[in-house]
Amino acid sequence: MTKEEQQQDGHDESSGEHCGIFTIPGSHGIQGAWRDITYVPVRDNIWSVSEGIYRTIFVEGDNGVIAFDTFGTPGGARAFAGAIARIFPKKPVHTIVYSHEHLDHTGYAADLAPDADIVAHDLCHRVILGRKSDGQFAGTEIWSGERKQYNIDGVEFELIYPGPTHGDGNVAAYFPQSRLLFMVDTVIPGVGYTFFPDWHLSPYVPVMRRFLSLDWDTFVPGHFWITDRKGFQDNLEYYEQMAEIAQEAIGDGLDVDDFADVTRYTYEHLEPKYGRFFRFDEYCAMNLSRYISHYLTGGWGIEGNVSPDTSPL
Amino acid sequence: MTEHQGIFTSAAVQDYLSAEATVSSEQLSDRLWTVSDGKYRSVFVEAKSSVIAFDTFGTPARARAYAAEIGRRIPDKPVSTIIYTHDHLDHAGFAADLAPDATIVADEMTAKVISLRNADGQLAVTDVLSGQEHKVDFDGAEFTLLNRGPVHGTGHLSAYFDDENLFFSSDTILANARYGLMPDYHIANFVRIMRSFLDLDFERFVPGRYEVSDRKRFEEGCDYLEAMQIACQQAFISFTPIWVHDAMAAYVQNELGERFGHLDGFAEHSGQTAIRIVHHYLMGGWGLEDTPDPGILLAEQF
Repeated sequence: MTKEEQQQDGHDESSGEHCGIFTIPGSHGIQGAWRDITYVPVRDNIWSVSEGIYRTIFVEGDNGVIAFDTFGTPGGARAFAGAIARIFPKKPVHTIVYSHEHLDHTGYAADLAPDADIVAHDLCHRVILGRKSDGQFAGTEIWSGERKQYNIDGVEFELIYPGPTHGDGNVAAYFPQSRLLFMVDTVIPGVGYTFFPDWHLSPYVPVMRRFLSLDWDTFVPGHFWITDRKGFQDNLEYYEQMAEIAQEAIGDGLDVDDFADVTRYTYEHLEPKYGRFFRFDEYCAMNLSRYISHYLTGGWGIEGNVSPDTSPL
Repeated sequence: MTEHQGIFTSAAVQDYLSAEATVSSEQLSDRLWTVSDGKYRSVFVEAKSSVIAFDTFGTPARARAYAAEIGRRIPDKPVSTIIYTHDHLDHAGFAADLAPDATIVADEMTAKVISLRNADGQLAVTDVLSGQEHKVDFDGAEFTLLNRGPVHGTGHLSAYFDDENLFFSSDTILANARYGLMPDYHIANFVRIMRSFLDLDFERFVPGRYEVSDRKRFEEGCDYLEAMQIACQQAFISFTPIWVHDAMAAYVQNELGERFGHLDGFAEHSGQTAIRIVHHYLMGGWGLEDTPDPGILLAEQF
């Protein structure tokens, strides 16, 4: 749905909040809940913000602010706007750059900055148009291909679509002068998130390794804390290890449909090396379950089966 | 022996691929059998001079056992045609071991994914179907193949046998609650599309896993997943930590236990299923397949 259509369409009448793709009636209390946002200067004119789980960046321009993503609820989006306004009270958010199409990152431009321009990759944009989610505005500046340079309000950066990784049209923002790379829902500190939702596992690691050909030393992920080049590489190695162990588990006769046994196997085979990884206990068994399913089923859909370009960027 | 590998890259799976399997069949009508290895299930049809097999089972050894069981039931007729219900290797990965010279029939999107995947042992599609409904006649065996939209995998086909009042749909509705993490299910339209098959006059339902079922339990399966979608939204808006398995399991078991607790696997699987479904609402669905008017992004667009 375009911005104009959404602004005419209204939303959840009972709570007054944009409600994403929820279909149940009544008040959706979580949508409006305030989120405490912490903010930290990262480098040059780049700031990072987090509400504890999700993380993104915003960048000061000459006359306004460029926000990346929106957070995942109307309340989160308003808190993001509040954090930006606290630091730059005289500079409006004139541009939002979408990392990808998922609502938990880019679902609520309507609550962050309803008049902002929205930059989105074409692959992301198509899904947003099809989804018609309440509160998620479609892009106004659509780009396609692998790389595009931007200079918006004095801020220079490059958007890079390296190939299928997670979601659709998931792009990185590269700030070469600041030696900083920002990318959402790919490398995240600790083990992988739950069952790797909408990750495209076959192309994922080779596509992500393409970023190592660029000159950067700071990586801002879409969740938890900022890391560096080594943290980025270590995280990709975890995925490679998981791929190996998933195959060994199948060879050992592990039944992916027996989650209790998958959990037992996870502790026996992965805890010695990864037991101290952030969120090991919460997610590692689900990570393994997802990887086993990947090998048994063969990868999911077109995105999960393309042979990606793995050449240096 | 070295087996066809699917997409495996590790030698650790050789024993898994070659492990002897017991595949048994049950006759459903004069021409139709259902066949299972104890977990996965499919059907095959006797035609005038050949056999039409649906899917292949998920390892080379299981595909060979499937071929042997067909040969035991219908000893004088070769498998001339294999119909892929969808692209996944655990159902359709090993035609090379079932009947390497057979004609392979599948939906056009299944064909695209299989071509991209290039998995060892999964034969390419030779007869491509486009569209939602196909009244087919393979060597005198008549039935209907249906693709009413994205439900699971890519290019999913179900089969309706009107002579038998029987519906076969692989990896969609089950006769139990053993959905696990619902791998590659397309949640947005799943129940709506599956319910649409109730316009067919079927009494027996053959799923792609576990036991043979019937119309009533098919409807119950739709009801269960629909109720799970509602419960997951309720869990979300009431601040349940949706990323924690045990918290989601407790929530949905409390909400759904009275109505669906009798389903086999409910206690073990409902937490995983809830984690998957609640992330649909968190993230908005996965790809164009999960939009109200579903489509797909093609390979050249990536």
